[in-house]
Amino acid sequence: KWKGEGTTQNLENIVIGRCYDYIRIVNPAVGEKNCSQIWEAFKNAFINKDPCSILPKDYELFINLSLHTIPPNKSLFWENNQLLVNSFADRGRRYMSLGDTLFGFVGDFLNWCGQADSPGLDYESCPTTMECENNAVESFWRMASITYAQHSSGVIHVLLNGSADGGAYPQPGFFADYEIPNLEKGKISQIVIWVVDDIEGPDIDSCGVHSVKTLQTRLKTLGYDVTCSDNNK
Amino acid sequence: MPLQQGSARTRQRTVLLVGIVVLLVALVVAVVLASLLTHGRHEVSPKMLKWKDRGTTKNLQEVVLGRCYNYITAQYPELGDKDCLKIWESLKDAFIYKNPCNITAEDYQPLMELASHPIPCNKSLFWSKTNDLVHRYTKSNQNFLTLEDTLLGYMADRVSWCGDPSAPGINYESCPKRSECESNPGSVFWKMASKMFAEAACGVVQVMLNGSIEAGAFRSSSIFGSIEVFNLNPDKVSEVHIWLMQDIGGPQSESCSGHSIQRLISILEERNFKIVCEDNYRPVQLLQCVQNPDHTDCRLCTNST
Repeated sequence: KWKGEGTTQNLENIVIGRCYDYIRIVNPAVGEKNCSQIWEAFKNAFINKDPCSILPKDYELFINLSLHTIPPNKSLFWENNQLLVNSFADRGRRYMSLGDTLFGFVGDFLNWCGQADSPGLDYESCPTTMECENNAVESFWRMASITYAQHSSGVIHVLLNGSADGGAYPQPGFFADYEIPNLEKGKISQIVIWVVDDIEGPDIDSCGVHSVKTLQTRLKTLGYDVTCSDNNK
Repeated sequence: MPLQQGSARTRQRTVLLVGIVVLLVALVVAVVLASLLTHGRHEVSPKMLKWKDRGTTKNLQEVVLGRCYNYITAQYPELGDKDCLKIWESLKDAFIYKNPCNITAEDYQPLMELASHPIPCNKSLFWSKTNDLVHRYTKSNQNFLTLEDTLLGYMADRVSWCGDPSAPGINYESCPKRSECESNPGSVFWKMASKMFAEAACGVVQVMLNGSIEAGAFRSSSIFGSIEVFNLNPDKVSEVHIWLMQDIGGPQSESCSGHSIQRLISILEERNFKIVCEDNYRPVQLLQCVQNPDHTDCRLCTNST
């Protein structure tokens, strides 16, 4: 029916398990959270609805229940380099990327969608973003990205892939469309951009050229103090 | 008559007083009973044993079950035939209601059988005193697997558990440290899991050791030194590659030519393994450099271009 993969099997156990894993082990500093309630709020955002009609604000309750502070100077935004970001962020100890927050942690690498007139999850197939933008997963990450940007403060870091096809700063992209517009200028002291090429990969983009230049100009025009370095060791 | 009236009033007063006392006593008893009956499940029954280490992780079941499903669904779908519920039950049965100083290998046998899975050759990565670094490495390079990247290790990593003979059978307050008793649920688990991980290894295996600790990079008392080394199968494993990592800007206590490494090499050679040792294996060092980009050791290759 749809072109994308279906809902991840055992989604409920995985989401609830990850929630407890996060509050008990990964980052107990966030305190007590009601993981069953968080799962219910997450699920209610998209079940029993047309899977092409899910909006970011449908996840509002989920976000409210799972929100916690992001320590200043620890936000790490990124594009096209998830594995590198994971080891760079060091499980939230050095930096806290979106995947290191509770709301990002529970959804990372999973897939899900519902169906109209049925409370069940669709395990057969789910719409891709090409088929319709307002699908459950796309809207989730849009909402999560917006929230993450709104709650970031201090010095923020952006890790871009200088070897990526199409440029290090993708447009459209999550950083361009959902994160930059939702940064709270008053809370941010500096934006540090790092452009890192894949080891033995091509050097397609760098500071001061092509898409990175576009990004730097955009941020400076918005009034941010911006620095950029290449091939961060 | 005044005396009779007086004694009647005294009697009335006594009855009143007794009545009040009885009521008070009843109230106190009721409150005590109510608090005893409705107390949360984490209340330590006065009969539960007290230990020095942290207790069972809260929500252990949800965490373990979630991790199991996460592993077989989202990470290694080839393991789709694993029954996570059964696996959780077998873990629980290994320690619940038992004295946590009397755990045996047999207790964990069902769990080990249900949760073990084959490891691709040339991918086993052992480690000793390099916990953070080795796992940062496998997180970014999925060509290698540590024990904590297998299903068993993944479920149990950073989690603790122990039982107690009195209800509810799980001790959330405290668990025995190794110094209190060796046959405790955690130690027995990791020893068994490590043994099986070593037995399952094939082809070229790797080990990441710490060249910045004073006590030596290779210690016979470590799990690697006492269990894993001796459970590698010479019919399956051809070579052992040692990566000796020193902290950037840290003490260079030992290198491949050091004493404890020479000892390790002789133990392994005696068992017919070919050994290769490398100081500061570069791909891993690059990861260390992320936190020390300005150190001289972290400058990009100057001799290769």
